[in-house]
Amino acid sequence: MASAADIRSVLSVPDPTPGSSQQPQKKPTATSKRPQGISRELYELIGDSVPSVVPQHSKARLKLKPNLGSGPPRSRWEWREFKNGARTDKLRLNHWVKAGTDPDAVYRFEHYNVVSNPYKYTDEEYAQLLEDPEWSREETDYLFKMIEDYDSRFLIVHDRYEFPGGVPRLLEDLKDRYYSICRKLVRSRPWNGDEVSRAKVLGLLSFEKERELTRKQYLRSLESRTPEQIAEEEALYLELKRLEQTERQFKKDRDDLLRTLLGVESGLSDIQLGDDSSLHGLSSMPEIKKSKKKTGSTMEIDSPSVATPSSSIMQAQKRIQTVKSAAYDAQHCITRTDVPQITATKSSHQAATLRSYKLPTPKQAMATKVAQTLLEYGVNSSRLVMPTRENLLHLESLIDATTLLLEAKKNVDRVEQDIRLMKAKVLRRDEQLGGGEGGEAPMDVDQEAVADDDDAGIQPGRGARKKNARRSMSVSSVDAAAQPGRSNKRQKQG
Amino acid sequence: MVQHGGDEVAAVVIDIGSSTLRAGYAGDDTPKAIIPTYYGYRSQPPDADVAMGGTTGDHSSLKSTSKIAKMFVGQDGPSIYREGMEVGNPLKEGLIEDFNPITPLIRHALEDVMRINPTDHPILVTEPAWNTPANRERMAEIIFDEFNAPAFYIANTSVLNAFAAGKGSALVIDIGHSEASVTPVIDGFVLRKGLVHSSLPALVHQRAKHILTQANQNRRGINLLPHQLIANKAPVDPGVDPRFNVREDRLQGITKSWRNWAENREVDEWMHSIGSVLDQGWNEQAVAARGARQYEFPTGYNYYFGAERFEVGELFFMHPQHLQATNPNLPKPLPQLISASVTSCDPDIRQVLLSNVVLSGGGSLFSGLADRLNSELNRIFNHAKIHAPGNPAERRYGSWLGGSILASLGTFHQLWISKEEWQEHGRPIVGQRCK
Ligand SMILES: Nc1ncnc2c1ncn2[C@@H]1O[C@H](COP(=O)(O)OP(=O)(O)O)[C@@H](O)[C@H]1O
Ligand SMILES: [Mg+2]
Repeated sequence: MASAADIRSVLSVPDPTPGSSQQPQKKPTATSKRPQGISRELYELIGDSVPSVVPQHSKARLKLKPNLGSGPPRSRWEWREFKNGARTDKLRLNHWVKAGTDPDAVYRFEHYNVVSNPYKYTDEEYAQLLEDPEWSREETDYLFKMIEDYDSRFLIVHDRYEFPGGVPRLLEDLKDRYYSICRKLVRSRPWNGDEVSRAKVLGLLSFEKERELTRKQYLRSLESRTPEQIAEEEALYLELKRLEQTERQFKKDRDDLLRTLLGVESGLSDIQLGDDSSLHGLSSMPEIKKSKKKTGSTMEIDSPSVATPSSSIMQAQKRIQTVKSAAYDAQHCITRTDVPQITATKSSHQAATLRSYKLPTPKQAMATKVAQTLLEYGVNSSRLVMPTRENLLHLESLIDATTLLLEAKKNVDRVEQDIRLMKAKVLRRDEQLGGGEGGEAPMDVDQEAVADDDDAGIQPGRGARKKNARRSMSVSSVDAAAQPGRSNKRQKQG
Repeated sequence: MVQHGGDEVAAVVIDIGSSTLRAGYAGDDTPKAIIPTYYGYRSQPPDADVAMGGTTGDHSSLKSTSKIAKMFVGQDGPSIYREGMEVGNPLKEGLIEDFNPITPLIRHALEDVMRINPTDHPILVTEPAWNTPANRERMAEIIFDEFNAPAFYIANTSVLNAFAAGKGSALVIDIGHSEASVTPVIDGFVLRKGLVHSSLPALVHQRAKHILTQANQNRRGINLLPHQLIANKAPVDPGVDPRFNVREDRLQGITKSWRNWAENREVDEWMHSIGSVLDQGWNEQAVAARGARQYEFPTGYNYYFGAERFEVGELFFMHPQHLQATNPNLPKPLPQLISASVTSCDPDIRQVLLSNVVLSGGGSLFSGLADRLNSELNRIFNHAKIHAPGNPAERRYGSWLGGSILASLGTFHQLWISKEEWQEHGRPIVGQRCK
């Protein structure tokens, strides 16, 4: 019941966390002076070069008595009887409470006792609406009692269902009977609300027995597959992937060819560095295989059959929600995305994710720098308290801006460095021209060459030069693009 | 603890297993009192009976009609030699069969070991999932009428094992002293249709005893005399006949049940110390690679056990052909129990269960069992995930620990059956409240 802090307050012991007491503050001054356990003479001899491990004497430890007197005021706890409002009898149990708390206060855990109010029908309603040749009144009563007892946990209800003299019932039978009765009751009773809310409630109560049964049937057949069948399925799946990939590759090659032959007239967008689709196809292959291994086959289907029993309910809900106004959405921060109609291939299937997984990330090369810069401004780029769509957009634009800023800064730095270098060179040349000795010149060149080799990456001049060279090369190849014989080379480069 | 929803009312949790009875305060992480469920008793009071009276917690005031005249319970109960003492166990196949010794056992745990007054504490008792309504009502009666507890609750060991692992839904595999059970638990409720159990541990034990006491081509049958009966012994080389002297004075006074109990203890010791199971099924090379291990019995006899120590554990997973041929009603091995349990569940929840397999019970501490179970499960099902606490206490006392958690929750206190309710409604309240 009591936390460590409570216990400390009972014993009135000060909080030992660093910073809150005086002891840790004393320590640094003590070590900068003469450390404990070294005699004064020795300390004067060896001075500041104290061994890193200082002998600890138990004497010093003995002084560390708990500070019982001057801590925070001691708090008293009492073993007291309490009344639990969730109970229907007069049982009084005891527990520890801080002295001085209100003895008549409502028990802290009372409000967790939520009671569901399930649907109930009257005799009249039953006679008029709910008669069913398959169900007797007694059994229906029994079913409703069970559902109330087990808080609508149908799995448990079905497990414990033992109506004397009744026929064996499937889980779906029970659900069907219960939900159909509830729907009838909602429809027939006066509704004090608008039609939308009524339709919503009806949607929540919808249950299609046949559909559920076929779904379970599928699930069972899926589970009873032999290892050979599973292996075959997997092989087929891989084959399909491979076909798709070759098709994609073919298309890409054709596009490239067209582009090379016709240039802008081909109507295709300009060539992209590193074709995304093909890369994706390649890299996703082993991944799929792996995930397949891990998750096994029962979860491998993209059909509603993996959905929870409530999937039908959710669909019904969605239907109704489309009716609803956008204002409601805006008020409750709901953004709707269009769900693609059919998910034909595995790769186009998107699992449900939290939006916090979609946090934008800066370019790999810049990631740490961007994060650092943002942190300087007190922005945590890897976590959003409220990852709403708007916030994500904001963060993304922020990251983009920061990236731009950093790149600009880098360029500025580089140019400045260039200028400085150039100036230095000019200065040196001026000096040489103005009466330098002949012997110095070659040495100077050497030095520069060494520097150039050492930190080639950092040397700004060199990088720029390289870039220039590359650019000129690509320019030349574009020029050459008109000549069909050289198109191969260009493709490789791309 | 406030943030965890805890509110301790000094409840006491009692978990009665076939091997030990565990009792302790709710909210603790290990039971305070762990006493053997086996008890010693004498049918007629011998003339000179003064020894150990107070310390062993004997309860001669047994008002029952049984012929028991004197009982010896607790740590100094059956394990101490007493002339003419029999040993009994109130449990059979995990269920309490004989309620007479239960009161003295609980009284000893609460009053002599924990030194508490039961009238001050709400008491939570555990029961196996296959307990009968009559049994649990009898337990309520004992707690209210004989211990005068203010409140009582009876909870299911499987559910508690799942709680101890921090799960509301799980497939609980509990390997106890005499019974192994597989129980699907959903939202803290047992799915009774998926419950399977068998006396597999008892079979393994029997088999181990058979292997040890029977001679084979390498060694003679082993004498399992307990140390209480051995006056002195001399060290001998492995495999050589032991040299020891029996306490002849005691040999006359022992009973068959005590001797049996003591020998079973030796078998258990042997199994705990060097018994093991291979993680990938039976394989002569693997057995050879793991090597033989030496074990010494109280007689001084010692031997390097090789294949034998793995043969025992294999029985948890597979029954050898010759055994199956001779007795067709062998308790089912673990993989069969598990698939029987899982396939009787709704297909929708199988995945939930298989990804939350909780392994518990003292028998699961058998060396290598968790690894083997993992590989067996993954052979049958595509992806099963086993939760097996590394801390042996957590596994051995899993059901007690779950009870300790449950009875210290603030939201649980509305579920206690109070004495008032018991007096008002009588026995049916137990079934209504403890679902
Ligand atoms: N290290 C171990 N290796 C093998 N078996 C063990 C080990 N420790 C305990 N056991 C066995 O566990 C059983 C007790 O388990 P437990 O779950 O307490 O049973 P129960 O609940 O039926 O009393 C005993 O039969 C004991 O032999
Ligand atoms: Mg047990």
